Amino acid sequence: MKRSDRTTAGKRSFRLMRRAETKPLYEVICRIVSVLLALLVAGVVIKLIGMSPILMLQKALKSTLGSSYGFEQALVLATPLILCGLSVAVGLRMNIWNIGAEGQLFMGAWAATWVGLFVPGPTALILPLMFIAGALAGALWILIPALARAFLNVNEIITTLLLNFVAILFVNYFAIGPWRDSGVGILLATKRVPAELPTFGNSYVHYGILIAAAIALVLAFAIQRTKWGYEIRIIGRNRRAGRFAGMPVNRNILLVMLISGAIAGVAGMSELAGNVHRLSGTISNQYGYQGIIVAALSSGSPLVVLPVGFLLAILLNAGIVLQAQGISVNTMLAINGVILLFAAVGWVASQYRLVVTRDQPGDEMEEGGEGISMDEEGEGGSGRE
Amino acid sequence: MSIDLLPKQTPSPLVEMRNIWKRFPGVIANQAVDLDLLEGEVHALLGENGAGKSTLMYVLAGMYRPEAGTIRIAGEEMRFKSPSQAIGAGVGMVHQHFRLVEKMTAAENIHLGWGETPKIISARDLVERTERICRQFGLSVDPDARIWQLSTGEQQRVEILRVLARGARILILDEPTSVLTPNEAVELFKVTRKLAEAGRTVVLITHKLDEVIAASDRVTVMRRGKVVARRKTVSCDQATLARLCIGEELVSEAVGSKGSPGKALLEVNRITVRDNRNLPALREISFTIRAGEILGVAGVAGNGQSELAEVLTGLRRLESGSVAVDGQDLSDADPIKCTSSGVGHIPEDRLGMGLVGGASLIDNSILREYRSPPISRGIFVERGAAVRFARELVKEANVITPNVRIPVRNLSGGNQQRLLVGRESRVASKLLVAMHPTQGLDVGAMEAVRRNLIKTRDAGSAVLLISEDLDEVLLLSSRIIVLYEGRIAGEFDRSEAHRETIGLLMGGGREEEGGAGKSREEEA
Repeated sequence: MKRSDRTTAGKRSFRLMRRAETKPLYEVICRIVSVLLALLVAGVVIKLIGMSPILMLQKALKSTLGSSYGFEQALVLATPLILCGLSVAVGLRMNIWNIGAEGQLFMGAWAATWVGLFVPGPTALILPLMFIAGALAGALWILIPALARAFLNVNEIITTLLLNFVAILFVNYFAIGPWRDSGVGILLATKRVPAELPTFGNSYVHYGILIAAAIALVLAFAIQRTKWGYEIRIIGRNRRAGRFAGMPVNRNILLVMLISGAIAGVAGMSELAGNVHRLSGTISNQYGYQGIIVAALSSGSPLVVLPVGFLLAILLNAGIVLQAQGISVNTMLAINGVILLFAAVGWVASQYRLVVTRDQPGDEMEEGGEGISMDEEGEGGSGRE
Repeated sequence: MSIDLLPKQTPSPLVEMRNIWKRFPGVIANQAVDLDLLEGEVHALLGENGAGKSTLMYVLAGMYRPEAGTIRIAGEEMRFKSPSQAIGAGVGMVHQHFRLVEKMTAAENIHLGWGETPKIISARDLVERTERICRQFGLSVDPDARIWQLSTGEQQRVEILRVLARGARILILDEPTSVLTPNEAVELFKVTRKLAEAGRTVVLITHKLDEVIAASDRVTVMRRGKVVARRKTVSCDQATLARLCIGEELVSEAVGSKGSPGKALLEVNRITVRDNRNLPALREISFTIRAGEILGVAGVAGNGQSELAEVLTGLRRLESGSVAVDGQDLSDADPIKCTSSGVGHIPEDRLGMGLVGGASLIDNSILREYRSPPISRGIFVERGAAVRFARELVKEANVITPNVRIPVRNLSGGNQQRLLVGRESRVASKLLVAMHPTQGLDVGAMEAVRRNLIKTRDAGSAVLLISEDLDEVLLLSSRIIVLYEGRIAGEFDRSEAHRETIGLLMGGGREEEGGAGKSREEEA
């Protein structure tokens, strides 16, 4: 449309059109392609700062997917990312943003530590108790925001976020105060909790990843197949329609937020019993916030959270390795950002299709057209201010 | 009915749109459309929803860029890149949903984002300027009133002034009466006439046939993205226009009820209900509807209709009184109880309440059924049964859709409403509460919905039809009640109901004055 209308026949233009429906396979392909494109961009950046992209990619892959140690580390890191991702994702189904997974994780870890340190009994009994305590503590930590949201319509973003700082300080107090291990070489952490999640063989990978996968499966199934899940899907998209059909809207808001908190609490328990074993103020490496990214990239779908959490774990670990190769922290952050951005764009792009349109030739004289010739004068295109 | 005000046929129209093409996902909204607008005319652009009339005007007003075609204004070719360029060239549009800042005054809204507003101006000067603008165009508005304090009609006047003040020679009104009361609509058409007489061109986008007849000089009819007719309004009547719109004969005319009504199915006894601000919305009203009967509720919006629909469907609590359906007391029932007792509900705002735009047709279809077998099995939703149910409903309600997995928001308004009406009619074995069921629908979908109401009635249910469209109420109802300020201001049998009596009662007048029953005009 830019310049010549005279050569109308066959002038092509490209435009994006929203798809009426998107096939899941197509979505997956779009996401993978977008990540590959992002790697290409990252490669250009690395090239520009004078390093070899191929070499860096080799190192990154070798240190993560390419070696058993790297792969194990990725799985260990993926566990809390996936759990926190699930925590946020389940809220997203109801249009609720739980920004407090971080705090709920801390409280879950705290409660699990309390059980682990002070309740006597065999590991086989203590671990389930720690699990329950972690889940309960996480749920309890979101209870006030959840009640406020369900019954007083108080925005949950602020309330859940602010409670994070309370939780972190609370844990810090115990880690460096009453529960502190005064043993040699221990910095600001509690005693080692004897009950530990089993690991796969000799690896570092603990059963937390199984818990994460199981929760993802159960959630996906519950949302897609149960009557409760149906209510969540309806209410999440249109609260008034939920009321219209007589669904218990407030109760479901409350329930979903408690589940969200409980899953984040389990993330804390899993980190403590599977990975770090001592409670400290550094038990979480921003997992609660990373979980928001994971959930958003998964568009709230629990099954998609699994690969996305794993991908993010690889990215973060590769970042650490590449920093050792001389790529600065900032560059690494930029590259991670690019990849996440592309992944998000890839999903949006999968909702559209590219169509080629041609200007319709030969239609100028329709019934009422009275033979007005169209291009008598205005070709210069300057006919506007 | 200004018949002799037709403008002389000028050789060159003010606006010439030629061969306009515009596509959207899945549809060609404008397909080689030509349109001429003359100076000093009111030009109606008529068509069903989705016929492409709004799209065409969005193109003219610089909001959409067409894929092909030319626009000339006063002979000069225009290529608008933005609405502000269009307004610069004298094309202004007033949207169906107003774009005003609720908390600001009328004067502030008129001057907001306008290049000619002085950078620094005192409140008094602003008001003065506004009053000058009002005088200039002969439209009165209280400059100091905040938008939320104004009625919709007054808000619309602010919108119109906003556009006129910016120098619009061509004023486009998108479905302007959809938000107005009948009286406000009459006022609006006086304004459009006055503007046309002053040499401005007014485009009236509408799907209401009577408005075309009442307010326009010429009419262009569109169907499925194409212009199907251009006429002088004097040479048209409603039936001709309706045929041009949908391309077939109307059936709404012959809908008289067969047989005599049966037993009382809905008994409402002295109910009082409060609205969301906790003010009384219904005051001790009583009525009954019998099987096979449609009771029409006439009234201007805000006189208790929404609350009535909500209280009958379990969405609002009764303060006092009782509601019984087929002898069963539903005074304290919730929506689930109402549904299981055979009460269906077509709410006024389909995507706001009755349907979930982002959810599939399957999920929307089973909203009333997911708790009962075969769709419910234990704690699960039986997927296969749900899909079968949705397909059945789609077929039964004549919903046009590629499949049942796509989100409901991808359907046209008419198809959405067919789905909703179909779903609720299935539930309504005893009572169907229908609120503005054909609002915003094109003629074809309107027919389908009305036929469905009649079918529900003929199947032996009671139907409560709440509508602001008096023609619709008169057309479909066996009996009519008028709601005014939460009370029943009058009750009529269809045979003895007269437009002006009802119109008078809707506006709060007394019954005696209109009781004589001289019908000023025949319907249809």
